[in-house]
Amino acid sequence: MGAAAVGVFLGAAWMAQTGQPVAAQEGGAPAQGGRGRGRQAGPAEPTPRLADGSVNFGRVPGEKGTWNVPYITNMAMRVVGTDGQLLPEIQQSQQAARAGGAGRAGGGGRGGGRGGSKSEPWMPWMPWSAAMYDYNSINESKYDPEGYCLPPGGPRMMATPYQMEILQIPDHKRIVMIFEGATHVWREIYMDGRKFPEDLNPTYLGYSIGRYEGDALVVENKGFNENSWFDYFGHPHTDQMSVVERWTRPNKQTLHYQATVTDPGAYTRPFSVAWDIPWNAAAELPEYICQENNRYLNRLEDDFGQPIFGPRPQPGAKPGASPRGTK
Amino acid sequence: MRRVMSVVAIVCALAMPASIQAQFGHPLKGQWSGEWGPKEKPNRLLLNFEWDGKEITGVINPGANAATVKSVVFDYSNPSSWGVKITAEGKDAAGKPVAITAEGKLENLGAYMKHLHGTWTQGGQKGEFAVTRN
Repeated sequence: MGAAAVGVFLGAAWMAQTGQPVAAQEGGAPAQGGRGRGRQAGPAEPTPRLADGSVNFGRVPGEKGTWNVPYITNMAMRVVGTDGQLLPEIQQSQQAARAGGAGRAGGGGRGGGRGGSKSEPWMPWMPWSAAMYDYNSINESKYDPEGYCLPPGGPRMMATPYQMEILQIPDHKRIVMIFEGATHVWREIYMDGRKFPEDLNPTYLGYSIGRYEGDALVVENKGFNENSWFDYFGHPHTDQMSVVERWTRPNKQTLHYQATVTDPGAYTRPFSVAWDIPWNAAAELPEYICQENNRYLNRLEDDFGQPIFGPRPQPGAKPGASPRGTK
Repeated sequence: MRRVMSVVAIVCALAMPASIQAQFGHPLKGQWSGEWGPKEKPNRLLLNFEWDGKEITGVINPGANAATVKSVVFDYSNPSSWGVKITAEGKDAAGKPVAITAEGKLENLGAYMKHLHGTWTQGGQKGEFAVTRN
């Protein structure tokens, strides 16, 4: 299926960057570093700092380096408790999957093992969000908006497998994050102590206000639109979503990311996800334009065999009545 | 010359494809348009739905003759085709309350062009209805 092909493509891109297969990264990695994705060759180097003593979340002047954002297809398998550790039931699910040899049960795999909402009972589903997730599972993420080259919203920015840089600009009291992938977008985080505007215009990436809490960068985000999915597996969200992100850099090679999601439109209570992002000391940001030659869109058909981006179907159109004759 | 340019600009504007707005939140949320009743004399329909996390609210045919949505009930037993029952209250020409019930299926859930169709009952009349999300 097309969306699956996009997923494989993303995985291949990530593997090309890191030299490691996505499957090896996807399951069983702890929420905090030490093993799996966050592991680095050689001893950990000290956390770099800016002139004012705050943590440097980017390059050391004169050096190269980018963050290798991991490919996380199902954030439900990255839900952590208040201790920051992966939920015990998720660990058990992963252990059971490994014992069974599947490595992807419980909806935690990359392309298969789509168990739907019932396989993720720790998620605080609403009836509609569970049903929508089941629909996306059955369709194998056919309608994933990121497959349309639309920007990912919220934490998915940090789970789309391309390189990323964080530029701290203390004089301007702002931080800019530049993403190679995810439609070549950037994020601007205001560090000037401002409040959220009262009437936010909903956007893909929302409105971000940050602050330092010790060595952590904490960013509050609001004002998301509903044009994106939470992840490739198709967890939905609404424009009522707010996200609090927390970045730390425990050593030079590791960025730890945690996001607490509150969305009273789709989930009955907040939940947190977390993972490590490794540093690629030899890299510089390449150019990647998702929109270029995206043939997937030309082939994509809806549940009635109608082209997604073609002529509009008439209300009540019968299944299979494709004006292109593709069915 | 200016007139010709104006005509060209208008033609170009009309020729542009209608923009399609993605919406991946609650699938019923948004504006829907279509019709109900006999094909030879259909009744236009414009439905506006909102979702606040607790209930669906909405208006049928906004304006002077608007009907207010009283309740929306879903049946999720078929993941690809949700059952939907909408009850609303409008007014007839004399201003008397008229009960409206729409019972049908919400389909094409993940695509831009979602469909809602089924049976529409309004006062003493009953007929098929079909609306597509704008």
